[in-house]
Amino acid sequence: MDVDRDRERQQERTADQRRAERAAAAAFTVAILAGVGLFVVYFSGGQTQVEGVLFCLILGGLGVGVALWANHLLGAHEAVEERHELTSGAAGREAFGHALAEEVGPTLARRSVLVKLLAGAGGALGLALLLPVLSLGPAPGRTLKETPWRRGIRVVDETGRQVNLNSVPEDGFITVFPEGHEGSADAQALLIHVPAGSLKLPPDRMEGVPEGTHVAYSKICTHAGCPVGLYRATTRSLLCPCHQSQFDVLRGAKPFFGPAARPLPQLPLGVDEQGALIALGDFYEPVGPAFWDRGKP
Amino acid sequence: MRRTAILLGGIALLALLLTPAAGTATQQQPGSSPALLARGRELYQQACASCHGPDPAGQSVYSTVPSLAEVGGAAAVDWALRTGRMPWKDTVGPVIERGQPRFGEEDIRALTVYIGREVGDAQLPNVQPSQELVPEGRELYGQACSACHGMNGAGAALGGANIAPSLQNVSPQDVAEAIKIGPGEMPVGGGLPDYDFNSGESTRQVNAIASYVESLKTRPYNRGGAPIGGKGPVPEGFVAWVIGLGVLVLAARWIAGRG
Amino acid sequence: MTTMLERSLKYVDERLGTASFARRALRKVFPDHWSFLLGEIALFCLVVLVFTGTFLTFFYNPSVREVVYDGPYEPLRGQHVSAAYDSVLRLSFEVRAGLLMRQVHHWAALVFVAAIVIHLCRIFFTGAFRRPREVNWLIGMALLFLALGEGFTGYSLPDDLLSGIGLRIFYSVTLAIPVIGTWVTYLLFGGEFPAGDIISRLFVFHVMLLPALLIGLVVLHIFVLVLQKHTQFRGRGRTERNVVGKRLWPEQTFKSVSLLLLTTAVLALLGGLVQINPVWQYGQFRPFDVTSPAQPDWYIGWLDGALRLGPPWDLTLFGYTISEVFWPAILFPGIAFGILTLWPWIERRFFTRDYAEHHLLDLPRDAPARTATGAAGLMVFFIMFLEGGNDILGVLLNLSVEAITRDLQWALLIAPVVTWLVTFWVCRSLKRSRVHPARINAGLRLRRTAAGGYETTPLDPTSNPE
Repeated sequence: MDVDRDRERQQERTADQRRAERAAAAAFTVAILAGVGLFVVYFSGGQTQVEGVLFCLILGGLGVGVALWANHLLGAHEAVEERHELTSGAAGREAFGHALAEEVGPTLARRSVLVKLLAGAGGALGLALLLPVLSLGPAPGRTLKETPWRRGIRVVDETGRQVNLNSVPEDGFITVFPEGHEGSADAQALLIHVPAGSLKLPPDRMEGVPEGTHVAYSKICTHAGCPVGLYRATTRSLLCPCHQSQFDVLRGAKPFFGPAARPLPQLPLGVDEQGALIALGDFYEPVGPAFWDRGKP
Repeated sequence: MRRTAILLGGIALLALLLTPAAGTATQQQPGSSPALLARGRELYQQACASCHGPDPAGQSVYSTVPSLAEVGGAAAVDWALRTGRMPWKDTVGPVIERGQPRFGEEDIRALTVYIGREVGDAQLPNVQPSQELVPEGRELYGQACSACHGMNGAGAALGGANIAPSLQNVSPQDVAEAIKIGPGEMPVGGGLPDYDFNSGESTRQVNAIASYVESLKTRPYNRGGAPIGGKGPVPEGFVAWVIGLGVLVLAARWIAGRG
Repeated sequence: MTTMLERSLKYVDERLGTASFARRALRKVFPDHWSFLLGEIALFCLVVLVFTGTFLTFFYNPSVREVVYDGPYEPLRGQHVSAAYDSVLRLSFEVRAGLLMRQVHHWAALVFVAAIVIHLCRIFFTGAFRRPREVNWLIGMALLFLALGEGFTGYSLPDDLLSGIGLRIFYSVTLAIPVIGTWVTYLLFGGEFPAGDIISRLFVFHVMLLPALLIGLVVLHIFVLVLQKHTQFRGRGRTERNVVGKRLWPEQTFKSVSLLLLTTAVLALLGGLVQINPVWQYGQFRPFDVTSPAQPDWYIGWLDGALRLGPPWDLTLFGYTISEVFWPAILFPGIAFGILTLWPWIERRFFTRDYAEHHLLDLPRDAPARTATGAAGLMVFFIMFLEGGNDILGVLLNLSVEAITRDLQWALLIAPVVTWLVTFWVCRSLKRSRVHPARINAGLRLRRTAAGGYETTPLDPTSNPE
């Protein structure tokens, strides 16, 4: 009875192998056909989607065939391997220690001044090798605390066109720069036209708002530096798309939601004799995210 | 001879008077027959007055509903009705999404003409997109629109459950009207500098932006395959885990067999 | 044919003595569980990355010099773009199979880090990092950080609007380092943002420095694994002193080759059919432009979420400022990854007091404290990931970003603790019941009692299943 069962099992195994062989053959054939197809597609101009599918079929056909081979067509048995000791043992380590310290050992103790000077020289070399790293960039200096805005500079848009009081409709906003620095990363500012009487700024800050309606803030989020480009006309607030900090335009761009801790610095504006908008000075505070010595002059 | 000259001159003068002026050459004034106005008034009383009040130019019934005198005139009506946003359909929260328009074209025209007349702003934009304007439109779109709508028009969340809707399937008329109206959180003028509905420069800019928005529908835009929403790395990461790694884990299980 | 093979073998063996070494190597036994293949998936993604990446390097130009775009993509005609951006557009629109290679490369990067993470989870939850494998755990952690670095530097290379915004955030995070932040940032970037050097420097990191470290450590990682032999699950015939499985040749080689081919197949399919990082849509990076939504690639998404959650507290001490960015972007990752890296030592010092060598793996339930801590850690990161996509979630679920953020802030305080407690309790009860949840029926023996009814008794899981 056992013999019968064994023979049965053998026949099953062969049937299973035959099935796997047929399937693997089919898989490899698909791969070959896909390869031909890929050549045709490539030389007739190429098309990303078709190329991707054909590559998938070549690789997949091969992969499926090889897996079937591995799982059904190899006479695989489970194997057992003994683990060996990983350690060299105390004796081994001692031998290593000896080999290392043999010649140097006594010398090391006797010439201790020499060893100390060696260490010193090594340290000097290490520091010297680090010097070229300092050439990678300039010292920060005051560059993080200043922008190109100065008293009297004209306000322009990114194409260099002058901006005046009629440029922005009510509840509208545009991105502005100092003349000559269009596109400047740290000088970028938002000019917003709010309805008269709606701003709630302290009197000294209101002096930098022409007609009490045209207020300008830095466009660089004080959280992590993204441009704060979303203006919500109904709530008169600015939303930064990166981490959703929101700033109240009517109250000095104070953050009222989100991770930003400080308001967007205001840019004081005025009007010159020709009616063009000008800056009355740099932003009231350093723009952008905080850094270690931001509070220091 | 003199009579011919006077006749010709008269015709020329008449032609000049009837032709809209250069600055407003591109703006439409929908023809307003008495029948159309009557139809508009009737529809208004049926469908709109219960919220917007019996007089379109007057106060609305509820404080949360804006008066039609303040939303941007005929353009606002046309936009809201054509995109199915109005009549209001029981939405919760501030977002009123696009939907199927509830009125036919004729009825929309009637309401637009009627309300436009009542509130004193009957002008509709006449937008003319073109291929050549696409690069310029893209530039302007990046300045004024991309912060809220995304550079690829996918749309995004604004605070307070508001959204800037997707622009990947809107018409040029939608674009031009929305810029004029400034619906919801969107500012009037759409953030374009020196925006003035009647100026040639603004019209050109609106045409350019509409051209770019139109171009968002074409195939080269999504040359890489399925756009999976166009919302960037978030859906991409989802696909990488669920399809990429998911399939590979299944493959590993199959390859390892009964381990 | 065979004599030619024999002759070549003889040629090599006479010069390098390979035959006996090769025989021993090919007979090495590796255990056969599917979860042991997860690390290989990561390895094969790396292979794809190297090959596709090399192709990309032939076309990419790491320069920010301004050029005028005159390629076939209409909306950008005549625009001023950087040479780097222009080279990526050229590759995507004008080089045959260029876009396919670019997309395969990017998908491979996403799946690469995902595979590393899931492999790390397998190692963690089965206790494979215990003695003698602590060194390999450290190498693995280093590989994770290198992979994150490679990914970030890589997707910033096209100089597009989306990745440029990410660079700006990275700049702000390095600025927030106390005391030395401004110096480190200026040295790294070559000056104030957007200093022109950063793209070419990222290129050097991405193509030379990081791959060298990555490949070197991967080789070391595999070498240590082969030296120490692979771990195995408990089971019939398996002890601490042996390895039961299949030999390297032919079984494991065939299986690994198959997995390599299938990994590449999946990546090729994604690369062709699903669009990823369509930089032409975003446009050239300009420091005053912005787009919504704005997220980094998924493996940086947890940091984005942390920044969105982070409380708006900046500190001023003696006139010096600690930015609010410090807590989510420097302190939190430092602590989280610090704990993860040092976990083998933390676990045995504070939890298990188990300093012995282990080659048999735990099931997650066998170490309830470890599994619970891992689950709680995953919950923390899961919350960060959710918050990173809060604006997209908001549109999907019709919720405001404010509501989502507030809910997730509360969740961050409550959920990890709850997760720890629940996981701990589940592990302990599973451990006691000695039943494997996936074989719940196979683990029971059904017997007819003398009285005529039926009773079930649990099968001894270490005995031979019938």
